[in-house]
Amino acid sequence: MNPAVQNANYGALTSLMPLGGVVPLTWYITLASLLFITGAVGVLVKRNPIVIFMCVELMLNASNLALIAFGRYLGNSGGMMFSIFVMAVAAAEVAVGLGILISIFRLRDSISVDEVNLMRG
Amino acid sequence: MPNFRDPSLSVMEPNVLSNSLLNSYIPVLVMGVAAIALAAALIGLNGILGPSRPNPQKLSPYECGVTPIGSARERFPIKFYLIAMLFIVFDIETVFMYPWAVTYIHSGGMMIFNLIEMLLFVGILFVGYYYVWKRGAFEWE
Amino acid sequence: MPESLAGFLSIPVLLFLIFALGAVSTAVSCVLTPNPVRSALFLVLNLFCVAILYLLLNAYFLAVVQVIVYAGAIMVLFLFVIMLLNLGSPERIPDQMKWQQPVAVGAGILLAAMLTVTIASSVPSFAPATSLPQTARRTTLDAREPGASQTMDNSAILDDIARRPETMGTPYGIGKNLYNPDKPWLFPFEMVSFLLLVAVIGSVSLAGRQTSEEKA
Repeated sequence: MNPAVQNANYGALTSLMPLGGVVPLTWYITLASLLFITGAVGVLVKRNPIVIFMCVELMLNASNLALIAFGRYLGNSGGMMFSIFVMAVAAAEVAVGLGILISIFRLRDSISVDEVNLMRG
Repeated sequence: MPNFRDPSLSVMEPNVLSNSLLNSYIPVLVMGVAAIALAAALIGLNGILGPSRPNPQKLSPYECGVTPIGSARERFPIKFYLIAMLFIVFDIETVFMYPWAVTYIHSGGMMIFNLIEMLLFVGILFVGYYYVWKRGAFEWE
Repeated sequence: MPESLAGFLSIPVLLFLIFALGAVSTAVSCVLTPNPVRSALFLVLNLFCVAILYLLLNAYFLAVVQVIVYAGAIMVLFLFVIMLLNLGSPERIPDQMKWQQPVAVGAGILLAAMLTVTIASSVPSFAPATSLPQTARRTTLDAREPGASQTMDNSAILDDIARRPETMGTPYGIGKNLYNPDKPWLFPFEMVSFLLLVAVIGSVSLAGRQTSEEKA
């Protein structure tokens, strides 16, 4: 076990307290979870599928922030590698998702998520 | 619990190198602040100093003296979407190529390996490029 | 009080607080505004704030990629599709499930509370990893004094750039880690090209299809 992780400040709310002059890891993770929750609530609340896509981007971005923060604080390059791949996946997802929206719009002249229910069974 | 942290790295030392790298971004920050301040000042001064005496004639949309017909919100042609989408895909390709290009000269004995790796990547994407070309998505009309 | 404040409020902490506040407020306004175009513009601001947080985390290359790919290309695509489908005006789409909104907000607040407690009790609070004063490693990046350059091994410096958490985020560090055959990123890298191939073919065949009335 690494002494750094052993001596780290666990438990209760003390780990949210500021360190001297540096941003603690917990702040970044808290910020990432707040952004993620904002995106998740947006996905549930919004009725415009394009805005829902944007909220999904917000969630992906929050997860990227958490990955990079963990990678930086642990000195591990895996966090940044992962977030590059997440960006590539997000770009592919947006390209195909918006293509699907365009074809739905052509079929029925409306893209309200409440009306796209043919596959509900 | 697995130990992800590199054991040779110390922990609570001051981040001298990190701060010196970050300091090189101070000009970018200054430029951003200056740009925002300039834009805010110009728009703000315009609102404060300029006279504002609107009348219905002045506020109506101008279309070469002819009364405007219909809404300004018209549907774009689908071609814009296709071009922007293809741009994103090749943009991502460049994101992966850039670090490869920076490190390629230093890859030592792995040069051929790295070259084949990138050729495979570009080759697979070239299949998509060929498909799009044959499909005619690059033609504007 | 001023002394303890000075010990806590260094410039990186201040920058983090400013841009974290910016990121959260733009994200919330992105969700709250009824106009899709404004929503997209707030998301661009949010992505900028997060890019600056990446800079604070020494992920230089990713910060630039975030601005170029996300804020530049992906958001342009979003705006194009908003214009394309003529959804720029708010309240075009009637809500058929009114009860969902308060339930979603309540669930979000509950999730936020649970996550904060979980993070506070299980994520260790330590300072970022750094490699500076290790005695054995002082021969490389830190020893860049004028006279020392002859004795230094050039490849040792380059290896050090890829290993150090502070410089790992430069394009060189990213490339050395991403294209290193000893690390597991080779297969995902090749799979990304397949993913992009599928995305190109999928979206061109979805959106490029002409309906009969459009052909005429």
